[in-house]
Order: sequence, then structure tokens, then C-alpha cells
Amino acid sequence: MTTRQVQVPANFETKAWKWMRYSGILLIPLVWFHLVLQDVIVGVHDINASYVALRWATRFWQAYDILLLGFAFAHGMNGLRQVLRDFVHKEQTMRVVHIVLFIVWAALTFMGAYAVIMATNSILAG
Amino acid sequence: MSALKTTLQGYLSYKGREGHLSFVLHRLTGLGTLLFLVIHIFDMAAFYWWPTFFEDALKLYRTPPFMLGEIALVFSVFFHGANGLRIAFVDMFAPHKWAIHAQRNAVRWTLAIAFILWLPAAIIMGSRLFG
Repeated sequence: MTTRQVQVPANFETKAWKWMRYSGILLIPLVWFHLVLQDVIVGVHDINASYVALRWATRFWQAYDILLLGFAFAHGMNGLRQVLRDFVHKEQTMRVVHIVLFIVWAALTFMGAYAVIMATNSILAG
Repeated sequence: MSALKTTLQGYLSYKGREGHLSFVLHRLTGLGTLLFLVIHIFDMAAFYWWPTFFEDALKLYRTPPFMLGEIALVFSVFFHGANGLRIAFVDMFAPHKWAIHAQRNAVRWTLAIAFILWLPAAIIMGSRLFG
């Protein structure tokens, strides 16, 4: 018996599925460490503007936070899209949902990343 | 509207025991974490754009309802990660474990691990409620 290898081109849903898996695996150390550090070890009572300024004065934490933002928010928005697909059964409504989610994702990612970079630059500039 | 009702009814009436529980918990913890992440993007962006809003947000986070929410958030993130790791690990390294009995056990382990990770964090954060 012969077996035939069929290469199916990866469509958007395949890529989205892979994105969830690999970003998820990366997010476990990234987010768990972030939570243990900020919420448990430091705590919300000791977090203030000077603490944030101190953190973002290093390129390492700036990069760490941008990675967190990029991976976690895209993972979360795609998760929301998957949940909504369970509830929205009309093709046309889903298309609108896709557009809205994409705009919200792009706008908030840009807003957050821009703020981290600009804040860091102004701190480093003194 | 009926799609909403049908899906929610399915979530509630399906009797899939541990598998069902992990599915519902994965969604709830994921959506809850995303909700805070959206707020968190705004408060951190405000650090640069609008510093008074950043200070106000922090004052709000130091109130008991938000401190309790923070404790729930930490559980959500631990469970969501542990459960996602269970699914990814079985998929990639142990597909023969995709059997109902093995997975019922694995889900119980996942809950136990999430709880063990969460408990010391919850005690530390909870003590600040009274400190």
C-alpha cells in the first residue's frame, strides 16, 4: 500500500490556531513571572509613577513589557474571536465582528507600545 | 438571539464532567484575563499620555473590590496557563493520552497545580487586605 502526502495550504484559521499554541507556551513563563513579580512580590500598594519610571529606565523591562503586550493581547483577542464564533452564527455578522476586533486589537497594541517606547525614551533622555 | 441561547444552554446542560469543567473554566478565565488586560493597557498607556488618570487607576486598584479581583486574576492566569499546557503537552508529546479516563485525571491534576501555585500568592495578597 502506498501513502500519499497531501500538503494543504495553511489558511487563516490554521495560522490562528498555531499562533494560540505557540504564543500560549511562551506566555506561561512571561506572564506568570510578571504576575508573581508585580502582584505578589511588589504588590499594588508599592507600585506608583516613580516605580514605573525606574522599571522603564532599563531597555530590558521595556522590551519585556512590549513582548507581554504583543503576545498576550493578540492571544487574548484571538481567543475572544473564537468564543464569539460560538455565539455568532451569521456569516455577515461574523465579518463585522472580525473587522471590529481587528481595529480594537491594532489600536490598543499601537497605543500601548507607543506609550512604553515614548515613556522610556523620555525617562532615558532625563 | 437564538444562537446565543442555544450556545449558552449547551454550555450549561452538557454533562461532560471534568472535560466540560475545564472547557468552561478555560473560557471564563481567558475572558476575565482579557478584560483586565484591556483595562491594564489603558492604565499603562495613561502613564505616558495622561499621568493623573494613571494615579487614579492605581488608587482604584488599592480598594478591596479590586484587590479581590486581583486575587481572582492570579488564579485565572495560573489555571489558564496550566490547562493550556495540559492540552499542548498531550497533543504534541502524548497523544495516546487523549482518552476520557486519562484526561479526567489530567484535569484534576491541572486544577490541583493551579490551586497550589495560587494559594501562597492568594495568602500574600489577601494579607494586604488587612494590613
